[in-house]
Amino acid sequence: MPFEQAFKLSSLLLATTAFSGLVLAHSIPAWLATITGVILTITLLQTWGFTFPWSISRQSAVSSNLRNLLLIAAFALFLIDLAVISRELLPAGIHFLVVLLAIKLTALHQRRDFRHLYALSLMAILAAAALTTEAWYIPIFLLYLLAAVWTLLLYHLTSDDAPQLGETPSHNRRDQSGHSVGITNRFFWLTNGMAVVTFGLTLAIFFLLPRIGAGMLQKSRGEGLRTTGFSERVDLGMIGSVKQDPQVVMRVELPERSAEGTERLYLRGVAYDRYNGRSWSASSARRRNLGSFGDGAFLVRAGGGRVPQGPSAAIQQDILLEALDTSVLFAAPFAEYLSGDFPGVQADGMAALYLTFPTASRVRYSVTSRLYEITAGERSASTLDYSHSVLERYLALPELSDKVAALSQHVVRDSATPFARITAIHQHLLRNYQYSLDVETTTSLHPLEDFLLDRKTGYCEHYATAMVVMLRAVGIPARLVTGFLATEWNEFGGYFTVRQRDAHAWVEVYFPQSGWITFDPTPATGLLPSRSSWDVLFRAGESLRLYWDRFFIRYSTRDQLAVIYGIRDGGDAIRDRFSQWVSAVHRTMTQTVAALQQSAHTATAGVMVAAVISAGLGFLALAVLMWKHVWLKGSPLRLAQRQQLRITRLYRHMLQATARNGLVKSPAVTPTEFARLVAKKWTAAEMAVAEVTELYCRGRFSGTALTAGELVRAEHQIRALQQLSRTARLEG
Amino acid sequence: MNSTQTIRAIQGNIGRVIKGKALTIEMAVVCLLARGHLLLEDVPGVGKTTLAHSLARSLACSFKRIQFTSDLLPSDIVGVSIFNRQKQGFEFMPGPIFANIVLADEINRTTPKTQSSLLEAMSEAQVSVDNQTHPLQQPFMVIATQNPAEYHGTFPLPESQLDRFLMRLRLGYPSPEEERKVLERPQALHPAEALDAVLSVEEVLALQRRVDEIHMDESLTDYLLAIVQATRQSELLSLGVSTRGALALSKTAKALACARGRDYCLPDDIKELSPIVLSHRVMLNRAHGMRAHSFEQAERIILDIVDMVPVPV
Repeated sequence: MPFEQAFKLSSLLLATTAFSGLVLAHSIPAWLATITGVILTITLLQTWGFTFPWSISRQSAVSSNLRNLLLIAAFALFLIDLAVISRELLPAGIHFLVVLLAIKLTALHQRRDFRHLYALSLMAILAAAALTTEAWYIPIFLLYLLAAVWTLLLYHLTSDDAPQLGETPSHNRRDQSGHSVGITNRFFWLTNGMAVVTFGLTLAIFFLLPRIGAGMLQKSRGEGLRTTGFSERVDLGMIGSVKQDPQVVMRVELPERSAEGTERLYLRGVAYDRYNGRSWSASSARRRNLGSFGDGAFLVRAGGGRVPQGPSAAIQQDILLEALDTSVLFAAPFAEYLSGDFPGVQADGMAALYLTFPTASRVRYSVTSRLYEITAGERSASTLDYSHSVLERYLALPELSDKVAALSQHVVRDSATPFARITAIHQHLLRNYQYSLDVETTTSLHPLEDFLLDRKTGYCEHYATAMVVMLRAVGIPARLVTGFLATEWNEFGGYFTVRQRDAHAWVEVYFPQSGWITFDPTPATGLLPSRSSWDVLFRAGESLRLYWDRFFIRYSTRDQLAVIYGIRDGGDAIRDRFSQWVSAVHRTMTQTVAALQQSAHTATAGVMVAAVISAGLGFLALAVLMWKHVWLKGSPLRLAQRQQLRITRLYRHMLQATARNGLVKSPAVTPTEFARLVAKKWTAAEMAVAEVTELYCRGRFSGTALTAGELVRAEHQIRALQQLSRTARLEG
Repeated sequence: MNSTQTIRAIQGNIGRVIKGKALTIEMAVVCLLARGHLLLEDVPGVGKTTLAHSLARSLACSFKRIQFTSDLLPSDIVGVSIFNRQKQGFEFMPGPIFANIVLADEINRTTPKTQSSLLEAMSEAQVSVDNQTHPLQQPFMVIATQNPAEYHGTFPLPESQLDRFLMRLRLGYPSPEEERKVLERPQALHPAEALDAVLSVEEVLALQRRVDEIHMDESLTDYLLAIVQATRQSELLSLGVSTRGALALSKTAKALACARGRDYCLPDDIKELSPIVLSHRVMLNRAHGMRAHSFEQAERIILDIVDMVPVPV
């Protein structure tokens, strides 16, 4: 393929990847995406060599005047967009960007146009990065990088014969189709290799450079995923509306447990104790703040204060919770310790955990829970001794038809012990009712009676409500719990994927000694989703997304430390020492960054503005300095000036050395006079000072450059002088 | 022979006559290199005339001496037009000023009118007689001597005219050893008469051209101007150094650098020359109880000022 065509193609590919990044970030309206996509495709096909019946000439006939008009119109639209439609700079800017891209694509004539195209593409890919935290960004970014390397190379190669490019393209194309100037195999692989190396470097920089969370470009606080069942009041049948939704709510890693033996995991959200016949609510909204023992770790004690006595098993979970519209924190029952980067955590009277504010972004936390079983004594006890307050609170029933009470009594008629009664009701619900999501709930005035007596079809909420009501009807304290039932184990990532459709409701039954014990009356058919062979692929993709999130989006300074420690652990002595050094440096850097962040949080707006302005000025000064420095490198005269600075610096070092020995040069004393003074007062240094002074005078005032050897000599003498001054001081 | 050797040769030559005054001799040579005129001011009998005479003898150039008295007329210096009977016309008879080196002995003994005719020739390097302009020879250097103003029967030179002299030097009494050497010398012949010329006129001109090429760093120019500025702001002086003075300092600094074998100036050059180049261009402030024309006091004040000005580093 000739260079020129390859150059155009790679430029267009660059634009295409950037554009598709924006499209995938859902940041462009469909109509705009379509129009730009069509223009992009046509341009691509034309460059590839495809001729359209209405030919290229028509397209190039879009006059520059018309394009200017279009640009002005686009800008006006941008202003309107900014003011009225999007009302935010980033989306409006992206729309404008895409319009500019589309206009630019119709006019790729000069190299200037291509440069504009690159700038637009870069902005587009940056905007896409700012807008998304999804894993699809990886392939887009890789493609972009590849295209960018190609484009830069080809741009450089074709720019050498730029005049020909403009003159006679057709003739040129014929010439260049010869094998010597086209793209050879070697060139192809070399370029791709460079792209890979670039990517590797990028990764290294990404993982090793310390980062500061700058939220400038991030989208303004987005809305959390809408959830149901965790508010103060839950209507019966609410959960059914989300039972088809595959949106991921959280991912739960079990660091100490393997997939075997863990088929399902209950993630407890909120418990409810009051039922009014249609909806569940909590009788007390009081919450207490959890005691923290430093570094984001919180101690959670089970509500009621009494420690259950049954056999128990600890289970640790690392949970990555998506942004939700609720502040509930989910955990396996019952949480004992919780650690996460939170300012505070609250718990209500029924052991539900809340953040003090709703989550605006994903949160990651670890929970250690203890799963209690019923004690053997209570399992066989014929009566249980409930306290008065428990009975009052957990036996309350709404006004129900007698049929429900009768049914309850009927079910437990043969059971002698409370545990047997519970089992009987549990089994009754499991066996005699049909699981189905096709239930109309809103029409009925008494959804529970409908479920229990008439329809006998329902889902988790109906089952759980029915069990609680029936237990209460036979005098056993119980409550309803909503949360998620994790069943989707991802064998690639080693975690449970929890989706909206895993929302669940179940029952907790109270035992005076064993505490609250979980019972789930919903039949297993409704819990385990059907699995097809395609799911394996989905799960693999899912785990990739978690890795992406874990190692790229949420990659933090702490993780960098982990990387550094990992290097340290694996290495021999040299690597060991190196990484210790790195981690020491890193710790200071992290502390500095943390301190900066802290001060940035606490600083007032005025201070921030001042800091930003002074930083800007600093950069400007730096730029000027750099520019001057580069400029100085030019002619031999500049060389002399540079050396002048250097010998002056050396002379100052000499003055410092003599000053340490009590010989200070007053400003009005000339260098030669000072050298004479030194010769008189400090004879040992006479030689060195005389030589440096001589070189300094010549280098500083003669306007001609010293030779490198002379500079080295001056440095040497100064070192000798410093040595001399040290020994003199020691002796003195 | 390069320039340094040449200059050393002149200095050595003069040094054979004037004992123990190496620095003064060097400055006189510097003055010559800088195309300037020299004012020697000291009490009678310390070798002012001998210095001028030996300098002239060391160069292969013409030398004239004018003894200034109170009845000297301008035409006695510049020359007169005399009617030539044979040619039936006036003929210009050049005066003693038409020489390479002119010794104006005891310049403050003559009247201001005669003084000014000399000074005009000094600054213009030409004389005008009867509407005719006669250029003077090059190199042209006037070495004027004067007794300190407090002596009787003198017409002190006004500041504007003193300004025309590039530098003012003082010889001072020689040390006893040097004086002994002077006394032990054979007295039959004037010592300067025995000197041989070591330099031709062309060589002098070449050296003068060379001085113009000496490099002075920008920072040194600033340093020089800072000194000049300081004299204008000093409370002890009622008149500071003029721009001509600054120019003179720059020129002499270059000449001194050349004389010392460098092709660039150093702050030392400027610092060292400041008293002798600037001290006769300032007027002391009488309010501070100083006499207006005290050589030593003026030199000391200039030295103090220079010691206040920071040297560029």
